[in-house]
Amino acid sequence: MKGLTYQLKSVLRDKFCLMTFLLPILVAAALNFMGSIDLSTLGELHFGVLENDLSPQTVTWLERYGPVTVYGTQEELTAAVKEPSTNVIGVKADGDSIKTAISGDELDIFQQAAATLPALYEQRAEAELVKVLTLERPDILERFQDIFIPAVLIVAMFMGCTFNAMNIISEKEDGVAFINEILPMTPGQYIFQKVVVGFLFGSLSSIVTACICFRLSWQNFGLLLALIVLSSFVAALTGLFIGKLSEGLMIGVVYIKIVMLLFLAVPILCALIGPSGPLAVICNIVPSQPAFDGIMALSAGNTGTAVKDVGILTVHCIVWFSLYDLRGFFSGKRSKGSL
Amino acid sequence: MGKGFCALFKKDCRMLMSGKFFLMAIGFLILYTAYVNLGYIRFMQMPPYNVYLYDPAGTQAEKSPLVQTVFSMENMDAVLLSDANGVGLDASAGEVQVVLYKGAEHIDRHRADYALSLLRPSASPAPEVLGTNTPEQKARKEITCELLFFELAAVGFLGIAAVLFKEKGMGVIRVHAILPVQKDLFLLSKLAVFLLSDLAFAVLLTLLNVGLTDGAAVLPAVLLQTAILSLMMALVGLLCALLLKDFRQFTLAYLVIAIFAATPVFLSANTSIKFDWIGCHPFYHVYMGLKNAYFGADISLACYVGAVGIIVLLFLAVRRAFHREIGKEG
Repeated sequence: MKGLTYQLKSVLRDKFCLMTFLLPILVAAALNFMGSIDLSTLGELHFGVLENDLSPQTVTWLERYGPVTVYGTQEELTAAVKEPSTNVIGVKADGDSIKTAISGDELDIFQQAAATLPALYEQRAEAELVKVLTLERPDILERFQDIFIPAVLIVAMFMGCTFNAMNIISEKEDGVAFINEILPMTPGQYIFQKVVVGFLFGSLSSIVTACICFRLSWQNFGLLLALIVLSSFVAALTGLFIGKLSEGLMIGVVYIKIVMLLFLAVPILCALIGPSGPLAVICNIVPSQPAFDGIMALSAGNTGTAVKDVGILTVHCIVWFSLYDLRGFFSGKRSKGSL
Repeated sequence: MGKGFCALFKKDCRMLMSGKFFLMAIGFLILYTAYVNLGYIRFMQMPPYNVYLYDPAGTQAEKSPLVQTVFSMENMDAVLLSDANGVGLDASAGEVQVVLYKGAEHIDRHRADYALSLLRPSASPAPEVLGTNTPEQKARKEITCELLFFELAAVGFLGIAAVLFKEKGMGVIRVHAILPVQKDLFLLSKLAVFLLSDLAFAVLLTLLNVGLTDGAAVLPAVLLQTAILSLMMALVGLLCALLLKDFRQFTLAYLVIAIFAATPVFLSANTSIKFDWIGCHPFYHVYMGLKNAYFGADISLACYVGAVGIIVLLFLAVRRAFHREIGKEG
């Protein structure tokens, strides 16, 4: 217990370390209070027209489909159409009809829209008479906004891993690791002390982030808490692994980056693509995948999936912990042999 | 002076080699190339909306071949549910009715009118093509530019700082205070090593991912921008290494750069989301310089003057911090 107090003291003294844990909370607050970025404009059509070229009626008709920007000269319009970050379709008068201009590097959907726009213009009178039945379904683009919040939560949980890995590597570099080996402390106590700090702060940071982002019922909050606690524990253990395996700071940084990429990329890709069958099972090997899946399920009100994910994470905890235990056992034997 | 510089340069190269810096760069090069060629190019495709027609009486004879026929309303519901961007046309009651899942307002109108226009296709003039890139070329250039920027601004930056913190910890700076070489050579040799390795990385990444012919055409402009970015990041890395106490403090500075600096720049430069304040973001101009180089757009002289000015200012700041550090150590 005394060792743990020392660990906590050293963390609390390190202001930057505390700020690292506060960072996800700040991002969550920013996402929550400043209003998330309007991603719905991403798939929209954008039109560029020349000043005094199209009739006001035609411009109004174009505005039904998307924002219209008026450019003063042909050069400005050409530059806007060619600009690679946007998909502006240039529209010009062509007698009674209209003609379009594109850059040629747009996605098929925008090229097709530009190609059919004159036909749409010709048939505009008939199109207005047709009945349109719109079915309700959550906007697909809203899913992207939903992904942001669990991603921030995953980063928050991951902080424990970064902290633990950095802590052990710097102890190694300062030579404290050797001192630890001769201290009257069992490997179990050592693991406990090392895991607890990263785990505690990782979960605290995630819980505050979750409180800011989610409004859940008590039962669901219990499930979310279980998800957070379990995945913070796995993250803290992963940090221990990275710390043990890396010889120096550089290698440690590379390992952390690879693990962080995996932790973020796998669940986000899974959420976007939605794999099924054996691939979905394989994805669960990355511990952030069940955590992410569980959080997404909880925000959609699907308790069953969340319970399943808590189960998967529990298995992760047990497997990683026994792996670490085994590794410690073998390396302990080897060092005794060398003595 | 030349001899001293060579010795320092060789020492820095050896240190990067022993720190597995080059190995890491090659690893990331392979990872990025695999991602672009195997993943990104396939992922970045967006076919036109599918249009499904239920027309049991066969009233729509002129329909375009792009329209797919379904044989019952249940069938229509099922395909629309699995393809929510698709549009259904129900002609079973005589008059055509459009059925679609709700999305953004403007897009919904366009989807409905587009689907109807396919029932009476007319030969409208093909759009005028103003640019020279195909969608694949654009996607390749865009992602290569993003990866190069990310590598230089985030990954390379972290590598630089890790190496410098190690040197600082080993007391190399203290040793330099008594060496009979000009003090600035220490900084210049570091900048030269990182600059050369970044340039080599940029050449390989561009040629492997943009393609040999396209890549070679844009390479001179890209290398100039890479040099600007690389010098800036190396100088900021040096400054962090000299001013901050240890590597852990540095990781926070790194996180701030990675999250707050890069995200809005990527959003503004690559999508139609434009922030009003993005012009004040220093990284935005550097990123746009790199992007314009890839797409062959003109880069204004003011940008170059600004970049050189910033590099000189950063160098002076680093020099001051370095001399202060030597004074402290000495």
